[in-house]
Amino acid sequence: MQAFFIRHPKVWRAFDILLPFLATLAALGVGAVMLMAFDANPVVAYGALLEGAFGSTNAIADTLVKATPLLLVALGICIAFRGGVINIGGEGQLVLGALASTLVGLTFPDMPGYLIIPLALFVGFLAGGFWGAIPGFLKAYFNVNEILSTIMMNAIAVQGMNYLLKEPMIDPVQLEAASRIPQTARLSAAFDLPRLVPTRLHLGTALAIIAAILVFIFLWRTVVGYRIRAVGMNASASRYAGINVPRNIVLALALSGAFCGLAGAIQVFGLHHRMFTDGSATGFTGSAGFNGIVVALFGQLHPLGAIPASFLFGALIVGANKLQRVMQVPASFIIALNGLVVVFVVSADYWRRRMARRREAEVVSEELISSEAEVPT
Amino acid sequence: MDSSPLILILASIVLASTPLIIAVCGEILTERSGIVNLSLDGTMLMSAMTGFVIAFETDNVWMGFLAAAGVGAFFAFIVAFGSIRLRQSQFAIGFVLTLLGDDLSAFLGQNYTRIPGPVVNHYAIPILKDIPIVGPILFNQNAIVYFAYILVFVTWFWMFRTQPGLRLRSAGDRPEAGFARGVGINFQRYLYTILGGALVGIAGASYSLNIKIGWSEGLTRGFGWIALAIVIFGGWSPIRGMFGALLFGATKALATYLQRTFPEVSVVAFNAIPWVLMILVLLLVGSDFTERVLTIAPKSLRRPLQRLLKISPPQALGSTFVED
Repeated sequence: MQAFFIRHPKVWRAFDILLPFLATLAALGVGAVMLMAFDANPVVAYGALLEGAFGSTNAIADTLVKATPLLLVALGICIAFRGGVINIGGEGQLVLGALASTLVGLTFPDMPGYLIIPLALFVGFLAGGFWGAIPGFLKAYFNVNEILSTIMMNAIAVQGMNYLLKEPMIDPVQLEAASRIPQTARLSAAFDLPRLVPTRLHLGTALAIIAAILVFIFLWRTVVGYRIRAVGMNASASRYAGINVPRNIVLALALSGAFCGLAGAIQVFGLHHRMFTDGSATGFTGSAGFNGIVVALFGQLHPLGAIPASFLFGALIVGANKLQRVMQVPASFIIALNGLVVVFVVSADYWRRRMARRREAEVVSEELISSEAEVPT
Repeated sequence: MDSSPLILILASIVLASTPLIIAVCGEILTERSGIVNLSLDGTMLMSAMTGFVIAFETDNVWMGFLAAAGVGAFFAFIVAFGSIRLRQSQFAIGFVLTLLGDDLSAFLGQNYTRIPGPVVNHYAIPILKDIPIVGPILFNQNAIVYFAYILVFVTWFWMFRTQPGLRLRSAGDRPEAGFARGVGINFQRYLYTILGGALVGIAGASYSLNIKIGWSEGLTRGFGWIALAIVIFGGWSPIRGMFGALLFGATKALATYLQRTFPEVSVVAFNAIPWVLMILVLLLVGSDFTERVLTIAPKSLRRPLQRLLKISPPQALGSTFVED
């Protein structure tokens, strides 16, 4: 097998790309054993999962809708990781983006949609970027640990959201009714993102895919993106090459936050059409800010890799709900299944790297042998 | 004397800070060996849940603590194995475990929410408790609080005054040099990551069995991250870490007090205070900010201030070491 891979480098490249999916299949295989322990038929169960995720136009649309925020957050995470910083503040940045864009929608209820939608999405983008730039600034100029500061920023954003939705931004209807559910009024229907087919699928999904391509071009085909990656690979070498390291760290985290903010804005304008809270971040975000990190790792921190990765995770989330309803397996199984997928993908990555090292060693030795053969005797 | 309100408040701050003190000591041991266990938040939730459930079922709090320590050690083992053997990012593994611990504790503990259970018995230390002021604050507590004091001292003594402690610090500071002197770097890292994880587990259980008695979803959410921040604030020293935890407890108590005094200000502002404060603390102590400010201090003051404020992490923190 080794020799085959060495002779066909293209095959091994394809194999490398397919590896996360093979690992997912292996994880589902282990999941099948667990299902049998619950006395459930794994074929029927996975049938339900597939049907829930892809069984009808509506199912596919739901999968894509779930995948959209995951993809946008994963893009942000890719930029941060490539810039050598870790952004765990996706939840907070998503909330900030959603809040700011909702505010735009509520402030100008009578303006036409073609003006307000782009403006609101842009404001959401900026708000998320602002929330990401703060830990970026602290990291770049004062060396404050960004993992911890982004987590703290999440908590602050959630408290701010709870306050705004309970007091100044609350739906006037809720204010009159005694229930006082903390949510805003529904945004004007003119601001709904266009639906693509008669399902819940909205334009946001297409925007997210375009964003992925743009991020790829930005990181690998522009000078600014090159600088961010250079700082991420080797900060001291970049400094000697004349790159302003602190500025690029701020930029990486700000852009990272901006894409999370955009995800929040698109959730509001494409899906919920209002902002609401259950007291924690998860109520509105559905943990997209955290799951996006897993998606980014799954897509090997590549913006284009994040597209299929987010699709797969969206399918897993949507399909798993169906599986749980049909088979009556405990919710822990779904959590365990997600965990298994992550563990398998991570270990597969380890195996891939070991294989790559061994292949390189063999290529070198084969070249050595052939070059020795050419030496005249 | 015993019941003067200030003394009662101070005693409650000491009590409320104990889990943080224990968790901080555990994480300091782990990070001093060169590994970051980022899963603290999830580990504490899991161990708080496990500790309560086991203590409830066996009707014995100590069995609960034992089980919680086991859970903490197991989570820490995954971090150690993933980063040493599989050479994966410690941050990624720790982070995924945080999410897993949060979800899993919510599910596994769902049949045990909001029911009364066993608690750690109050035990005042004879003689010591009669010391004026200090006695009622420090020695009129329970076994877990006393365990935390002893732990702080033992951890400090172990790390800075013994041979094994030197080996531990070599693994985190200069793994190559330690290895050349015959220290099994990765053995040290496994050992102290697992030991630290067990302590974090005990910290989690001391929430559900001692402070916020009982179990409910997300009982300790956030405290793991606070503990990680306090480790930096404490400059990887248990004694400073203890003061950091007490300071945090004091600000929380102050926030509660202010909230009662100014009911017109939204609760949210007070809920956000600890987090804003932690960012400021990280900025002041765990960063280069202090260095910059100190350059304007008079020269004679600069040296002692620097000694007091300047801290640097173990040099090989978060990096993998290959023995060959």
